[in-house]
Amino acid sequence: MRRWLGPLLALALCTAAAHALTLYLTPGVIMNRAMDALAQRGVALHRFTTPERVTPQTQSIVRSSPDLYYALCRYDLSKPGSVLDLRMGAWPDYQSLAFFDGQTNNFATLRGLGKAVSVQLLPPGSAAQPGAIVSPTTKGVILIRRLAPDAARFAAAAESGKADLCRLREA
Amino acid sequence: MRRLFAYLAAIVAGCALGLGSALWMAGLWPAGRSLAFGDVDVEGWRSDFAIGSKTADPYTRARVARHGLLALAKTEAVYLTRALDDAGEPLRESCTYRLTGGQMPGGWWSVTLYDSGSMLPANTDGALSIDAERAGAGAWEAVIAARRPERAAHWISSRGAGTFDLTLRLYMPNAALLTDPNGTLDAPRIARLSCEGAS
Repeated sequence: MRRWLGPLLALALCTAAAHALTLYLTPGVIMNRAMDALAQRGVALHRFTTPERVTPQTQSIVRSSPDLYYALCRYDLSKPGSVLDLRMGAWPDYQSLAFFDGQTNNFATLRGLGKAVSVQLLPPGSAAQPGAIVSPTTKGVILIRRLAPDAARFAAAAESGKADLCRLREA
Repeated sequence: MRRLFAYLAAIVAGCALGLGSALWMAGLWPAGRSLAFGDVDVEGWRSDFAIGSKTADPYTRARVARHGLLALAKTEAVYLTRALDDAGEPLRESCTYRLTGGQMPGGWWSVTLYDSGSMLPANTDGALSIDAERAGAGAWEAVIAARRPERAAHWISSRGAGTFDLTLRLYMPNAALLTDPNGTLDAPRIARLSCEGAS
């Protein structure tokens, strides 16, 4: 029996380690795959992509709502001194500017009911500044949602979206 | 040599067990498992209010990354999912249901149908959801069916969905919902009306 003790201990340790490692890595792996999929579907780096209305034929993200206008911008702040300038144009109904890091965390959300919102996104480790948000990871996704439950409202939201801005500034 | 083989087998088996158990406990494997999970359960509508947050446990984070990527934190929106009807049976394309509800504790809400892959069902019916604006104030009702019903104010199409679930989104939720979901939310009910092939 004693000769099986070592292999059994190795089995338990490897099980625990693989279990923890899988859970730790899964969000990052899924986010990376999602970012690659978004890039393949034309979601630009450092620019809000003019979206199509969400339908079964156009959906690219799981559990998208067909009642919302989504505009996406991928970002990469890996170059030293880089800053992302962001603006969400005015919209008379519900809208929000949401930030997701490379681990899928929603690390900030700004609501803009009937008003435009401007903010800067700074690289990880930056000092906090008024009017700026520090990203926990160098890469991530920014998502504007606007309430637009029908085709006419979606077209109006797209018009408002012309005032949206996602632009990289490098030092 | 036998001892070396025993260690090797233990390592390979351990890695496989760890990987499989993590994916299973996070609801990622086998494919097609429901998003109906979490610490909140209001009459079968389930959620985890840690969605989108760093405080979410690793199982929730892994599951949400797969099934609810880019979901907002609870102060902005909450998401509740239900995969069973009022009788406790899985929601199926071959059945017709009546979805009823009332006033919701948030700025705007919607109920959307998703297939087992967490995608909108592959149909062209243009009837994927009901929301606060279409439902109007007060009590509301929608029929969930694979074909447009003859008489119904609102229809959610399940055509092409197979086994499906419903996600209730509540944007700008009332503070009371976050602290006492069971006491605050008048959860929509899902009554099964009929099923194809049933006597």
